[in-house]
Amino acid sequence: MTYSSSMAMSRQRYAVRNQNSVSFRSTDRRLGPITNTVALIILACLLGLLYLTQVTKTNAFGYSIDRLEQQQTQLKIEHDNLEVASARLQSLDRVQNSAPAQNLVSVAPSAVVQN
Amino acid sequence: MKPFSVQSVSVRRIHVWYALIVLVFAVFVVRLFYLQIIRHDHYKAAAQSDQYKEYEIPASRGVIKAHDGERVIPIVLNQELFTVYVDPQLIKDKAKAADALVKTLGGDKAAYEAAMQQDSRYEVVAKKVTREQKEALLNHKLPGIGAQSQEYRTYPQGSLAAQVLGFVDDSGTGRYGIEQALNKKLAGKPGELKAVTDINGVPLAASEDNIRRPAIPGKDVILTIDIGMQKQAEQLLKQGLERARSDSGSVVILDAKNGAVKAMANYPTYDPAAYQQVENADLFVNNAVAGALEVGSVMKPITAAAALDMKVVRPDSTFYDARQIKIDDATVRNIEEDGGAGTKSIADILNLSLNTGATWLLMQMGGGELNRQGREAWYNYMTNHFRFGKETGIEQGYESPGTVPSPTEGYGLNITYANTSFGQAMTATMLQMAAAYAAVLNGGTYYQPHLVEATISSDGTREDTKPKVLAKNVVSPEVSKQIQGMLEYVVDKHHFARQFSDAYSVGGKTGTAQIASPSGGYLENEYNGTYVGFVGGDSAEYIIAVLVNKPKIPGYAGSRAAQPLFGDIAHMLIDNFNVTTKTR
Repeated sequence: MTYSSSMAMSRQRYAVRNQNSVSFRSTDRRLGPITNTVALIILACLLGLLYLTQVTKTNAFGYSIDRLEQQQTQLKIEHDNLEVASARLQSLDRVQNSAPAQNLVSVAPSAVVQN
Repeated sequence: MKPFSVQSVSVRRIHVWYALIVLVFAVFVVRLFYLQIIRHDHYKAAAQSDQYKEYEIPASRGVIKAHDGERVIPIVLNQELFTVYVDPQLIKDKAKAADALVKTLGGDKAAYEAAMQQDSRYEVVAKKVTREQKEALLNHKLPGIGAQSQEYRTYPQGSLAAQVLGFVDDSGTGRYGIEQALNKKLAGKPGELKAVTDINGVPLAASEDNIRRPAIPGKDVILTIDIGMQKQAEQLLKQGLERARSDSGSVVILDAKNGAVKAMANYPTYDPAAYQQVENADLFVNNAVAGALEVGSVMKPITAAAALDMKVVRPDSTFYDARQIKIDDATVRNIEEDGGAGTKSIADILNLSLNTGATWLLMQMGGGELNRQGREAWYNYMTNHFRFGKETGIEQGYESPGTVPSPTEGYGLNITYANTSFGQAMTATMLQMAAAYAAVLNGGTYYQPHLVEATISSDGTREDTKPKVLAKNVVSPEVSKQIQGMLEYVVDKHHFARQFSDAYSVGGKTGTAQIASPSGGYLENEYNGTYVGFVGGDSAEYIIAVLVNKPKIPGYAGSRAAQPLFGDIAHMLIDNFNVTTKTR
């Protein structure tokens, strides 16, 4: 007799005994400790997943922020460069040496208006 | 003999496997305990050093602006330029890399190749490279060549007001001029970013440990300078120095009614954008503020104002001028054109520039003789009324306070003080002279000379600089008018190439100052020419102070070199800057 056949015989004995017993079905259904544990683990996994989703989303916004900041910096640099170019174009030396200025004639004041 | 049992073998095997599994788990637990508990700090630091980055956010330096007539325009701005570097270890084909640098940046191929031969990982090969040049260079995609962005000061007006502005060195610190004096305000405050980043260094927004403190940009500064006036003052100064065959000089134009500096020019000058190329650091110095010197006879109107204000003389007082006064072992003499011996008025003292007259005024402060009482009274006026020997506090680096000798300590005090009455044996800057004349001529209020009209924060808040009164009742309003009249008299009696219209009041005084020798005494045949005067209508509007160092033309430095320059500047103001005309 093997170990498994011996176990099967002993279970059979109990099965026969149970045929005569009165069975009671409880109307108050309760989840067992294993079900509770599994449910909690699944809930924890769901919450973890939700957290990870949110973190990923937030981090994705970080990339958008970084991109926008880079754009802002580029625009500021462009603005500064244009301001420099504008200031150079209006500089006294440039105006003084411009073609219209070269054609101007110097006029000494001939009279003074007295208040 | 014990029979062989299959059951006992199976149970033993289970136990062995069980023991093995427990052992493996035990190894894991021990290893994890070691890594996570014992080496916790080490690995936490290692992880943070990889993921947690700290950046400094540079603050943008404030822009410097000035007046252009009614407008306010920037004269110092920031521009993003690039520093190009090479990593010689990464460059395989050095000739090709040098060719690319020459093609995009210009310069010397041999110099580039020499930099690439260096035994280092970072060699700067070009500075102040434009964005276009940098992009053209990086388009070659050559390994070992890179570029770093850097903010540089740029000067659209070139060398205009260079010494007033100063410059910003490579470390970002303001040197000389406004840049030095207002470095803290202009520089702003750098921000910081501490954040967990991804592998590319991009901050992850979800980290709780992120710290972001934005940079506070530097304040913009609006100067009182008018660039048109400044430009013309610089041109006239250069012409005046060439005419007088002088190597250097200064001009200050001050608003008499509030101490605002409208123009401040020095020659020779430099280009602040290329300050590294300047070999002589003296060029950086604003001599109108930092160069204290014996000013000569331009001091006489100040001495006269003090004597009149002390009421020890009256405007119509006279004295007999013997052309010289003996003081202890020394003799005070006049210049040759002193009009000869005779009775002279206070107006004559200024017009003929009588050293004996200035000494006589000082003697009146002592009750008719040179003594301690007179020295102390004059010292009080020099230092507390006219504020000589004290810095004005103008927003400039390296301001000199000048020197005033003690009235009670030292040797030869009487002759020393006699010298101070005509601008020798004491030193002052041209700015101090202009400020003292302004106080005398505006009715007796000494306004702090200033260059900053307002500052503007990055949020647009404007903070105006209110004229600061450093001394009141410098002289009485009556004395102010008397000195104004005497200075106008001096101008009337002197020849100017172009005469002034009667519609304006123009006055002033020359100075021909002896120059102290480093070895003691004074230099032979070398003088500084000075002139301080004003233009205005009923009252002085602009104070003009002129300095011509060691002119090489014959004649008195004050009248031959400085006076024509004063005349040019006075006409320039009248012609271009709406000087108020007289009403009476």
